[in-house]
Amino acid sequence: MKRTREEVDATLLIAKLNAAELMPTVHCLSFGPGASGAAAGDFCLLELEPTLCQQLEDGHRLVIRGDKDEQAVLCSKDKTYDLKIADTSNMLLFIPGCKTPDQLKKEEAHCNIIHTEIFGFSNNYWELRRCRPKLKKLKKLLMENPYEGPDSQREKDSHCSKLRPCYWRILEFDYEMKLLNHVTQLVDSESWSFRKVPLNTCLQELGPLEPEEMIEHCLKCYGKKYVDEGEVYFELDADKICRATAHMLLQNAVKFNLAEFQEVWQQSVPEGMITSLDQLKGLALVDRHSRPEIIFLLKVDDLPEDNQGRFNSLFSLREKWTEEDIAPYIEDLCGEKQTIGALLTKYSHSSMQNGVKVYNSRRPIS
Amino acid sequence: MVQIVISSARAGGLAEWVLMELQGEIEARYSTGLAGNLLGDLHYTTEGIPVLIVGHHILYGKIIHLEKPFAVLVKHTPGDQDCDELRHETGTRYLVTALIKDKILFKIRPKPIITNVPKKV
Repeated sequence: MKRTREEVDATLLIAKLNAAELMPTVHCLSFGPGASGAAAGDFCLLELEPTLCQQLEDGHRLVIRGDKDEQAVLCSKDKTYDLKIADTSNMLLFIPGCKTPDQLKKEEAHCNIIHTEIFGFSNNYWELRRCRPKLKKLKKLLMENPYEGPDSQREKDSHCSKLRPCYWRILEFDYEMKLLNHVTQLVDSESWSFRKVPLNTCLQELGPLEPEEMIEHCLKCYGKKYVDEGEVYFELDADKICRATAHMLLQNAVKFNLAEFQEVWQQSVPEGMITSLDQLKGLALVDRHSRPEIIFLLKVDDLPEDNQGRFNSLFSLREKWTEEDIAPYIEDLCGEKQTIGALLTKYSHSSMQNGVKVYNSRRPIS
Repeated sequence: MVQIVISSARAGGLAEWVLMELQGEIEARYSTGLAGNLLGDLHYTTEGIPVLIVGHHILYGKIIHLEKPFAVLVKHTPGDQDCDELRHETGTRYLVTALIKDKILFKIRPKPIITNVPKKV
């Protein structure tokens, strides 16, 4: 039995609400036949990012995937999300045909009563979080498929696992890298711009995991602090973070297939940051003469501090160097009076190779 | 590997519904359940503030435009005629029945209506 206008007005009177202060239209809400169906799993709410919403409106589909013992994921045509259930202590009712005040104002006809049926209600919804490449799973895959050299059958087998460095040594991540990971994962899951990372929210969300001073220290190391409308934010340094991420990836392998490394590296840095080999000067070395091209960790800090020792170790690693490649590894040796050019003249011998000037050792390396 | 497809219930635009968020739980007063029962009257003030009268309570709320919209998914278990375009029998699917871009939030503690005034009908 539907409510009448008289009944609505009587209720307003009892409620001591002045009809003159209200818009003329009332929605009389009642529960539809299947309203309690959430418990049975008949329907549910899925929280969307605006881009996903647009894709659904354009008619694209989404797919939920998962193995029994794995976190379920939702896949759109170009992104993957972790799927989680978010509980709320409140009741969420979804109501078809319910108009907002703005919609009512735009309408010409002012109908008096809209009898509205509540389709359903729920106290939870599905929440999506962007996936980051799972480094532990990556390591597991790599351990299962060791690189055995360019003539290996595996190299030719195109169905094999994608990433094939020489071998993995499982090392413990440095504490600073652990903190950085927490921060970058939070930035991704909250969809913040990496140029505007709010300090307070970081401390709130990560406080349970790590000491607050450490979180703030990490932000200071990898970003620049600023204040906007009374709130403290950090602008993260993309170059520093890309470099640190590369370091994390490279330190567990002797060498890495260059193309594959670049792909994983780009996927591992926060959204919006662009990786570039220029960021790795003095940290890693690329060998463009090997097949496939490889990259490996070479930290200038690990090399001998004295000039002759430094050049000896560099030339034992690689016989001939271009100035571009060797410069980051001898820059720190330059004093007041010595430039890179001067060092090269003193400690190496130059020649031309394929039109490019290269440097090699002055004497045989034992 | 489980795979569940989420797709539009029908071609053409998706309906837009509204979400209403209330504190606490909803219980039916009688064992017959909620279906068909009235929840209450939803009014808006001339300023656009939602006012909900539920039983003996008045709730004042606000309209929020959602940064992250919701999709209402209705579960659809397969019948005999369900095949996708590749003629594979489809499993359970979810149909996107509507999108929700706005919500009416009632966070304020309900004010009980004092009913010692006889209604004038």
